[in-house]
Amino acid sequence: MIADRAKPFVLPLVLVAAAEIAARASHLQSDTLAAPSEIAVALAASAVDGSLLVATRDTLLSAFAGLLIGAAIGLGAGLALGLVDILDRALEVTIEAIRPIPSVALLPIALIALGFGYRMEIAIVAFACVWPVLIFTRAAVRDVEPRLSEVARALRLTPWAKATKIVVPAALPRIFVAFRLAAGIALIVAVTVEIAVNPLGLGAAIMTAQQSLRPALMLALLVWIGLVGFALNAALVLAQRRLFGRFAPVEEPR
Amino acid sequence: MTAAVVVWRLISLAVAVAFVGLWQVVANAKLVSPVFLPGPDRAWAALVRGFAGGELWAKLVGTLQHMALGWLLASVVGIALGALIGSSRAMRAYVAPTLEFLRPLPASAVIPVAIALFGLTEAMALCVIAFGSIWPLLLATIHGFAAVEPRLYEVARALGLSRAAVIFKIALPSASPDIVAGMRLSLTVALILSVVCEMLAGLDGLGHWVLLSARAFRSADLFAGVILLGAIGYLTAQGMTAAERYVLKWRGQGH
Amino acid sequence: MNARTGGVAATASRGGQIAFAGVGIELGGKTIIENLSFAVSPGEFVCIVGASGCGKTTALRLAAGLYRPSRGTVSFSGAAMAGPRRDIAIVFQDYGKALLPWRTAAGNVALALEAAGVPSAQRAPRIDALLDKVGLPAHGAKYPSEMSGGMQQRLQIARCLAQEPAALLMDEPFGALDAMTRQGLQDEVLALVGASGATVIFVTHDLEEAIYLGDRVIGLLPHPGRIGLDLEVDLPRPRDQLATREHPEFLRLRRELFDFIRTSEA
Repeated sequence: MIADRAKPFVLPLVLVAAAEIAARASHLQSDTLAAPSEIAVALAASAVDGSLLVATRDTLLSAFAGLLIGAAIGLGAGLALGLVDILDRALEVTIEAIRPIPSVALLPIALIALGFGYRMEIAIVAFACVWPVLIFTRAAVRDVEPRLSEVARALRLTPWAKATKIVVPAALPRIFVAFRLAAGIALIVAVTVEIAVNPLGLGAAIMTAQQSLRPALMLALLVWIGLVGFALNAALVLAQRRLFGRFAPVEEPR
Repeated sequence: MTAAVVVWRLISLAVAVAFVGLWQVVANAKLVSPVFLPGPDRAWAALVRGFAGGELWAKLVGTLQHMALGWLLASVVGIALGALIGSSRAMRAYVAPTLEFLRPLPASAVIPVAIALFGLTEAMALCVIAFGSIWPLLLATIHGFAAVEPRLYEVARALGLSRAAVIFKIALPSASPDIVAGMRLSLTVALILSVVCEMLAGLDGLGHWVLLSARAFRSADLFAGVILLGAIGYLTAQGMTAAERYVLKWRGQGH
Repeated sequence: MNARTGGVAATASRGGQIAFAGVGIELGGKTIIENLSFAVSPGEFVCIVGASGCGKTTALRLAAGLYRPSRGTVSFSGAAMAGPRRDIAIVFQDYGKALLPWRTAAGNVALALEAAGVPSAQRAPRIDALLDKVGLPAHGAKYPSEMSGGMQQRLQIARCLAQEPAALLMDEPFGALDAMTRQGLQDEVLALVGASGATVIFVTHDLEEAIYLGDRVIGLLPHPGRIGLDLEVDLPRPRDQLATREHPEFLRLRRELFDFIRTSEA
């Protein structure tokens, strides 16, 4: 019998071992595939020569900058729409018209307006991150326990005091969930922009590896991007548990 | 009540129109270089011209095709795999953690690998779009099948339902809310990856159109393409909502 | 077949349609039922009562074939149970979980007919008749979420009747309903069962309900579950909510059961 704790690791180990055996048995010489051992060597090599770290830094820098800008806009707009009903109703059509635009469609606009580099990548990441934060924040603010709103009225709090002392703290756990989702989106969009056009970061590195026919490095970067995505998500889930305990909500508003 | 809804909808529409007007004013006053920002009049003209010439039609159809094919492939494979994994406790224990590990992987990162395998072809695009859009659907389907009320399986046993009947009459309908929610997310991902693949591989579609327009600084054409992509996103989402409402009407009013 | 080791011998000689012989079962490493033997005659209405933890629901699930005994045998019409059978229907307490929320009332009844391979052309009239029988004539197009608890439980009973069962097993079917709805359903179940001639095992924690409905009441002792009491209910039928409950025999039986439960819980 395999212990329950070990079960998650069986499939990946079997797959890696099978790939290694298949590569050795077929004396793999390919422009597209590489044995797991070669991938590991390539990953280690690019870590040692620093190129991996530079690319990771560039990608994360763009992703985080875009995330912060987008989340700030989303938070502000979400609070405003959640608190001021008139604003929410008046802007409904406008938001419905802009929100469905796929973020990558803005890539060419950002390209001609801002050129290659960090700025255009950050702008697109920010656009993509606005929406989840905006939608979650608006829903969270609306769903704040009505009893708390009555408390605010009974205490004769100013609108500003009500927002900062009652609404935001009450809605914070759900807003953080939005931030966590937005962080995942930020990394995805950053890598996508780099792969599509922008010559920096992990996305560009993996495209270069492919074009220079270095499959081991290409797959090593794919594995690395996967690890970065996993680590980012795990860290934010951990932070959410630490900050908000086991009451942290995980559901998404419709 | 309904009258108030209509009035607010009109006000909201007027606000949106006012924003378009503001955009026109900004463009006319050349507050932003017309190279980057065409007015809505020029974008509209480009849209009309593109459709009249038939060129935008072809691009629109191309993007819709990429998106639909990839999404359908992802749906079929995702639901089948998700059902297989979700309905077996052993499969869930062994396979689900690996899938959870892979989920945060940006789907676009497999594009170089797909290019290495298939070249800059339609097959490459189909693989990338299907691979990328399968994740939300697969994980939602697994969850849906894992969460089937155990009592219903007992009802099925007491009634002596066949294995096929248990899947199609009990498990699949029970998982349908999760599956539909997953398909909705998948559709969004499919549109994004269609655009990226068209840009990278130069495949016929709006992604290629907007990138070429940008390179040639034809900003009116560029905006026409972006507007169309927004329209696709909006209409497909609305379509999913309507389908969801129809398929899940048993859940009753509201949420 | 009916080797009995304890309890009242009144039923030992009867040929049982449903027969437990020396049945024991472990679930999750714990003995839930030990050495349980009793037999239920065709057409008999047997109620099972007992303190919580006495294994009454487990006994019912054994009778349904949903559990297999660790020791002894459960048999139906003389043959050992190999699993659930279509001619044994079970009504679960949690009707909200046992109905398909995505099917209408008619669709839920249809499920049983589909399982039995009834051609689709014949289903509609039978569904109408069944819904009519349980008092839901105009509700065929409604979804369970649009129905009250009492209506949902009626619907589950209709689905069970669609199996045309020789035996009907009911697990605290009215436990979650209010008192008025419960009394109405008690009388309806008596009428339906009387008309169909099905054998019934009815699990309840309501002692009066057990006496009111049953030909016989079996009291189980807890930890592990075993027979502690086996009472014949000699009350005239048809039963009546007022007259039956004021009958001296009813009060005597109630007293006896009440004392049994109190001592078994001590």
